[in-house]
Amino acid sequence: MGDRGAVGTRWGHWGHGGGDTGTAVVTPVPLPSSAGVCASAQRVPPPRGATPRGPQNLPGSPRRGPAAFEAALRAMERWPPGRGGRLALVEAALAAMEALGVERSVAAYNALLRLLPRGPWVPRGPVQRLLFPFPRQQECGLQLLEQMERYGVIPDAETRFLLLGVFGPRSRPLRKVQRMMFWLPRFRHLDPHPLPPQPTRPGLAAARLGLHRMAGDPGATVTVIQVGTGTGTLCPLCPPLSPGSQSPEQRELLAQHDPARAVFVEGPFPLWLRGTLLKYFVLRGDPLPPHLRNIPETPQYPERSFYFPLELQLELERGPWDDEEFDVDEVEEGPVFALCVPGAGDRRTLARWISALQEQNPILGRAPVVFRLNEGGADPREGPQTPRLGTGTPPGAGLEPPEEGERGGEPRKNNGE
Amino acid sequence: MAVASPSRARHGQHGRSTKPSEGRAAWWRCCRAERGTGGRAAVPPSRARDRRHKQEFFPYPEISNEELAEINEFVGPVEKFFNEEVDSKKIDQDAKIPPETLQGLKDLGLFGIYCTPILLYLKWICLGGRGGLGLSNTMYARLGEITSLDGSIAVTLAAHQAIGLKGILIAGTEEQKAKYLPRLASGEHIAAFCLTEPGSGSDAASIQTRATLSEDGKHFLLNGSKVWISNGGLASIFTVFARTEVVDKDGQVKDKITAFIVERDFGGVTHGKPEDKLGIRGSNTCEVHFENTKVPIENVIGEVGGGFKVAMNILNSGRFSMGSASAGMIKKLIELTSEYACTRKQFNKKLSQFGLIQEKFCLMAVKAYVMESMAYLTAGMMDRPGFPDCSVEAAMVKVFSSEGAWACVSEALQILGGLGYMKDYPYERYLRDTRILLIFEGTNEILRMYIALTGMQHAGKILTEKIKYKGNMGVALGEFLTRLQDTLGRKVDLGLIGDRGVVHPSLQESAKKLEENVYYFGSTVRGLLSRFGKTIVEEQLVLKRVADVVINLYAMTAAISRASRSISIGLRNHDHEVLLTNIFCTEAYFKNNYAMAQLEKYADENLDDSIKKAAKQILEKRAYICSHPLDKTF
Repeated sequence: MGDRGAVGTRWGHWGHGGGDTGTAVVTPVPLPSSAGVCASAQRVPPPRGATPRGPQNLPGSPRRGPAAFEAALRAMERWPPGRGGRLALVEAALAAMEALGVERSVAAYNALLRLLPRGPWVPRGPVQRLLFPFPRQQECGLQLLEQMERYGVIPDAETRFLLLGVFGPRSRPLRKVQRMMFWLPRFRHLDPHPLPPQPTRPGLAAARLGLHRMAGDPGATVTVIQVGTGTGTLCPLCPPLSPGSQSPEQRELLAQHDPARAVFVEGPFPLWLRGTLLKYFVLRGDPLPPHLRNIPETPQYPERSFYFPLELQLELERGPWDDEEFDVDEVEEGPVFALCVPGAGDRRTLARWISALQEQNPILGRAPVVFRLNEGGADPREGPQTPRLGTGTPPGAGLEPPEEGERGGEPRKNNGE
Repeated sequence: MAVASPSRARHGQHGRSTKPSEGRAAWWRCCRAERGTGGRAAVPPSRARDRRHKQEFFPYPEISNEELAEINEFVGPVEKFFNEEVDSKKIDQDAKIPPETLQGLKDLGLFGIYCTPILLYLKWICLGGRGGLGLSNTMYARLGEITSLDGSIAVTLAAHQAIGLKGILIAGTEEQKAKYLPRLASGEHIAAFCLTEPGSGSDAASIQTRATLSEDGKHFLLNGSKVWISNGGLASIFTVFARTEVVDKDGQVKDKITAFIVERDFGGVTHGKPEDKLGIRGSNTCEVHFENTKVPIENVIGEVGGGFKVAMNILNSGRFSMGSASAGMIKKLIELTSEYACTRKQFNKKLSQFGLIQEKFCLMAVKAYVMESMAYLTAGMMDRPGFPDCSVEAAMVKVFSSEGAWACVSEALQILGGLGYMKDYPYERYLRDTRILLIFEGTNEILRMYIALTGMQHAGKILTEKIKYKGNMGVALGEFLTRLQDTLGRKVDLGLIGDRGVVHPSLQESAKKLEENVYYFGSTVRGLLSRFGKTIVEEQLVLKRVADVVINLYAMTAAISRASRSISIGLRNHDHEVLLTNIFCTEAYFKNNYAMAQLEKYADENLDDSIKKAAKQILEKRAYICSHPLDKTF
């Protein structure tokens, strides 16, 4: 959900400052007159620019963004006005908003509301108000509000003012907008891990964001590797960049890993950032079998703290009243040593990632690295694919990163086994 | 009354247990024992035990007239030197103690205060009357009072003798002592203590400096870096702690810490530039690097692999003097600020007539009095023959006095208003210098853990023995009956007051409060042990309160004991002492009761849970996460 200030600045040229300035409406779209209404229920063909994903072929006009939407509205203006026609226009515009990239802008919704006539749909007198007046018109208003709600757009005072003009007080859209204005601000910061307001496009920035969200350690370093060019120059024609993340703790864990045991590259797993799907791979180890686990890797010193005893030599245990631990059955998982969102999910890229990791983790040169890849990819529509680490049966994969084109170590799919 | 004569003090110094975890924590034992027997005070053996513990604190330790004369004779010139020749402002500005001041300190013998009678003996045999003074802990405390008038000098002296040469003193061989101590005591050589490393503060396992035995087995090769070494640039003798490989009993090779005496002349010793610090700017603090320094095998302090205990003993033994040092500084501050408060007029009234100003003076006097009492009580106990381990008491003195000093200096500045903030006056320097007291020689947090855990260990042992003897049910039943009696109302009598009491009747009320606190504290501790068992190590918020209560109890004991003595022998202004003691004891009594009431509660009631949760949320984001008060959502 957009930060209000940012939205205001970004859509500032719509003439609406983004604040709660209320009724001071400066609109580039002239309000349609309700006179001369064509009451026929004929289907108004949507303007060209407003069709979902339809390219706008007007020369020089932008394909996305508020400017495109504005242009589309202007095009709508040229259509013969009419109450039914207006409704169909608004409905079509609502459907097209996502394609134009304005679905999170409150100013865009307000502009749509301005298309609706003021006055004629306001019920006259209490009796008419009781009898569900103008149902289709009110449904249209509700649909607009529902779409706002779906995208988390908080209506502002202007929205309410426009609805008041169109539907009158105590109408269903007005009641809904009041409820929305009450609740939506309160839910605005519910998400403890908010995504940036603008949708992320797949690419380096999205990958970085995804890595940061998965591995929340601020000390984690993100290394970007590039496959295909030996020199590592960044140019638009070069193969896609593959950022990988590893925190100091993960590095330490990997250093303690027994080189005789294999480490695994697994993936791809899906990661959604709003509507963007990323595929990521993990480098992980298997959980140690219990008989090996209790041996500490670093020698424990009985004499360790210079100043105070680290443990008491007592035979008294903790009483049940102060035992605040829940009885939790933990699922055993192996340690995750590194994450990567490769630009391309092929083995060559992954092998390059592993060799880049090797610079800081020399143990990777000694331990066998097993690739367990789902060739099907990470599209969740193909089947449930959640990262279940250490639970799959180890496939007979090659111990070395396979060369490009070599099919040795045929990986199996994890699902269905 | 055990009089601390120098000859007896000698035994006191060396009879100390080398294992602090096994050492007797006298104060704790006293609390426990008094608690354990308080309910059944009529049982004779317990009564006898009570009396023995009481004897450790009552009456207040005294020194003989000759010793007093000796101390005064020595203190006079030192005081004169500090008042007339030490320019603290210049030291602070230049961040350097001028050589002539340093020489003056050496001439006064201040670099050898702490060298024990062994050195005194050596002095007479070898040096024919020159060199260190060989004074008792009491003397050291007394001199600390004066040297603290300049923080930089105090720290330089302390780094030299309280930790720098202490290793040789308490764990060195006769040859090492004979070789090094004379020159160290005379100040010809300055010592430094090299323990802290970039990656290692109080964690011995992360020490990286390494000493490897040469092939001929006669030398160790020392490699590594130490940081924040006081006197690092001045010293020519270093006590260095490094890892060495030691073959275990079962034949395994293990890394253990070993202490070495390293001379600068061994080669390969370099130091960085002096650090720029907030306070104690005149003291020299810098990095020290050792690169293939050849240390002969004779220079190992203690045994190879025994460095951990050496370090612990050094660190544990030197802290008590901070009490007298802080008191000395506060006394000076009271003089300076009262002068101001009695002359400055506002609204036709002197500052000294305002209640809020009076309160500050009272606070300073109470704190100074109590920390002085604690420091000299501890010093006196350490000087006693055969009295083993006072490390817990010393830690209590350090925590109480460092925090007291910080509070008092802050209040003094407050009295002075804007004047105190100006660099033209010495007060801001005192404030900066005082801040280090809460940090060095073990931060107060760490020492609180030490105090509480050492005591818990001791109390826990007694409780487990009791359980072994009586069985679980027996103990539980006994506890139930005691609690029942407590709730029905109990008069606690530990024998401090009354016919055979040791406290003067004027302090009756304070002594009663102390007794009551001690009794219920014992009960609280038993409750904690049965609740947490050995996992109490993890309960730092609980342990902090325990430590606070113990520190207060010890402070009350010291103040009552001293004031009692003052009345009894008729010292000048003893009524003032009684007043201060009563003020302190009443305040501490309420604080203790509050802390104990919190200790009785579970973590969700005494806020511990919430505190931890809040901290966790902040640390997860590594920032203050509240929204700005001006933020809006609509």
